[in-house]
Amino acid sequence: MVCLSRFFVVSCTVKPSAPPLSRRFVHTKRKLNSRWQSMATDPDSSFSAPSVDSDSTADKTGAGFCIIEGPETVQDFATMELQEIEDNIRSRRNKIFLQMEEVRRLRIQQRIKCAELGIYKEEQESDLPNFPSFIPFLPPLTSSNLKVYYVTCYSLIAGIIIFGGLLAPTLELKLGLGGTSYADFIGSVHLPMQLSQVDPIVASFSGGAVGVISALMVVEINNVKQQEHKRCKYCLGTGYLACARCLTTGSIVLTEPVSTVNGGDRPLSPPISERCSNCSGSGKVMCPTCLCTGMAMASEHDPRIDPFD
Amino acid sequence: MAGVILWMVCPKGNATALLSLIPRGGKKPKKRSFRGVSAISGAVANPVRSSEQRVYDVVLKQAALVKEQRGKKALDLEKTSEKTDGFTDWDLLNEAYDRCGEVCAEYAKTFYLGTLLMTPERRRAVWAIYVWCRRTDELVDGPNASHITPRALDRWEKRLDNLFEGRPYDMLDAALSDTISKYPVDIQPFKDMIEGMRLDLKKSRYMNFDELYLYCYYVAGTVGLMSVPVMGIAPESKASVESVYNAALALGIANQLTNILRDVGEDARRGRVYLPQEELARFGLSDDDVFRGQVTDRWRNFMKDQIKRARMFFDEAEKGVSELNSASRWPVWASLLLYRQILDAIEENDYNNFNKRAYVGKVKKFASLPVAYGRALVGTSKFI
Repeated sequence: MVCLSRFFVVSCTVKPSAPPLSRRFVHTKRKLNSRWQSMATDPDSSFSAPSVDSDSTADKTGAGFCIIEGPETVQDFATMELQEIEDNIRSRRNKIFLQMEEVRRLRIQQRIKCAELGIYKEEQESDLPNFPSFIPFLPPLTSSNLKVYYVTCYSLIAGIIIFGGLLAPTLELKLGLGGTSYADFIGSVHLPMQLSQVDPIVASFSGGAVGVISALMVVEINNVKQQEHKRCKYCLGTGYLACARCLTTGSIVLTEPVSTVNGGDRPLSPPISERCSNCSGSGKVMCPTCLCTGMAMASEHDPRIDPFD
Repeated sequence: MAGVILWMVCPKGNATALLSLIPRGGKKPKKRSFRGVSAISGAVANPVRSSEQRVYDVVLKQAALVKEQRGKKALDLEKTSEKTDGFTDWDLLNEAYDRCGEVCAEYAKTFYLGTLLMTPERRRAVWAIYVWCRRTDELVDGPNASHITPRALDRWEKRLDNLFEGRPYDMLDAALSDTISKYPVDIQPFKDMIEGMRLDLKKSRYMNFDELYLYCYYVAGTVGLMSVPVMGIAPESKASVESVYNAALALGIANQLTNILRDVGEDARRGRVYLPQEELARFGLSDDDVFRGQVTDRWRNFMKDQIKRARMFFDEAEKGVSELNSASRWPVWASLLLYRQILDAIEENDYNNFNKRAYVGKVKKFASLPVAYGRALVGTSKFI
């Protein structure tokens, strides 16, 4: 049983010169994890190993935590008592918290060093979420872009108001079919003339409402498409696949062969069902592509979905 | 045959570390003190065998398995399974197959369109195989590949063994398990693909074509071998089963080589070179030339040679397509012709595979379909 820290060490690109930073954390961690000593691997060694060696170090620890689920995963933590499990969860969450802080500080150092060496890396923000525009066909938003967006938006609104309020009545624009006005149009389709007496305020309100509603729909549809794009395609964002052993029921019926040669008088005992060992009764198993995050690209920020949600 | 080959873009991803670490059986012939029996023991002790020979052994084994079963029942499996052993829940299974289709449509659009040319049963089987192969490939080459250890691959292999025994772990495994129950697919190509993934974690350069051939077998040739039982050999075919498997293997290799030649620039940007070092040297080139990304006359000559070899593999593959079941010939021909056109596109780009992507336009793709249909009408030509 290797601690989860191994798993997280793999995901951060730690430079071998990290130890001075980690030692401070070693002390705090050691105070918290007194009960967990037997389980913890030495944090110093974990930080001195660059991610490339993660495979070999994982093997060296003997038990070797394995990220892919299989029928034997239940054994990994099944032998612990409830109190032990709670302590383990608490200490691991603590570790995650501290390591996220370490990643933040390391990133600061990385930025400083890159600036010193004059390297400008485009992908430094690659694992933080980027910010595409919700409206289709428009370029991605940044804080400088936002100003341009504001200016464009306000000028468009002003232009339309001026057009509708001043230009159109002045030019007596007749936008009906063949240059007719609205009254002429109603007359030509032989509807009652009362319909042409449209109150301008009602008309503008309706027009505006239609515009806003359709705009919001477009934005929402685009948003959904983008979220779907980020969704893991195998589990459709749920993080789990149906367990094939119990067929999502969560329990397996144990069948015992019964001899019919003798003892024909005895009635058959009802079949015993027990919890499915593959999925531990939840009916679903881990999606190995997204590792239960539901995202197409799992990062350490993505929470792992619990099966009992 | 390898209708599934079209999608094999990704497996190259991590292959750079692959080949140099294959324990080459018999690379160093054991030194034996001379005894009377040393001549016999020498033959037994595995003299140096090329990758091609080793791969051919696998082909022979596959063919032998199929011939065994051919004696028992016809290879043309259009029957629907009558299994009602309570193990399968049909709704869940259908949902699983549909999910496989969705994944296929998402990640390999042209290939998905190709599968639509097959019969519904075969289509589902091919999707299930595709999804398993893709999941396996994503383990080492996907977004979460950094968390995969050799132990994870062992567990993945254990799951494969279980699903071949009828105990799938999740619903996508169940789809493959169902496919295996309907078609005589053997486990060996699947295991070889996992083996290829294991090597994928280590290798970055390929010294000669022999090493590259083995890699191509692991990631693409295996797919060809997996799909022959699904496509089915025509009952009236007089060709040997080995030759059909060989042709499938050749198609897989051809597709993989085409991928490699198309993506030279992209791979170089990731620090990988899939071209054999010896052959680069023979044309006066080196890794630096690949990384520099400039088309010189030497590069053009080198590429001409590589393309010629890839075309040879396509020609090998063509020999076997006519031996397939009549319903399967059209999609396989279509995929063969489409992929072959990528080589033409590379030539049209003046061999600039560093910056330009060799792309076959939609018009050309559609135009290949009737040509493929025409060639598919010609059945087996061997009357020996």
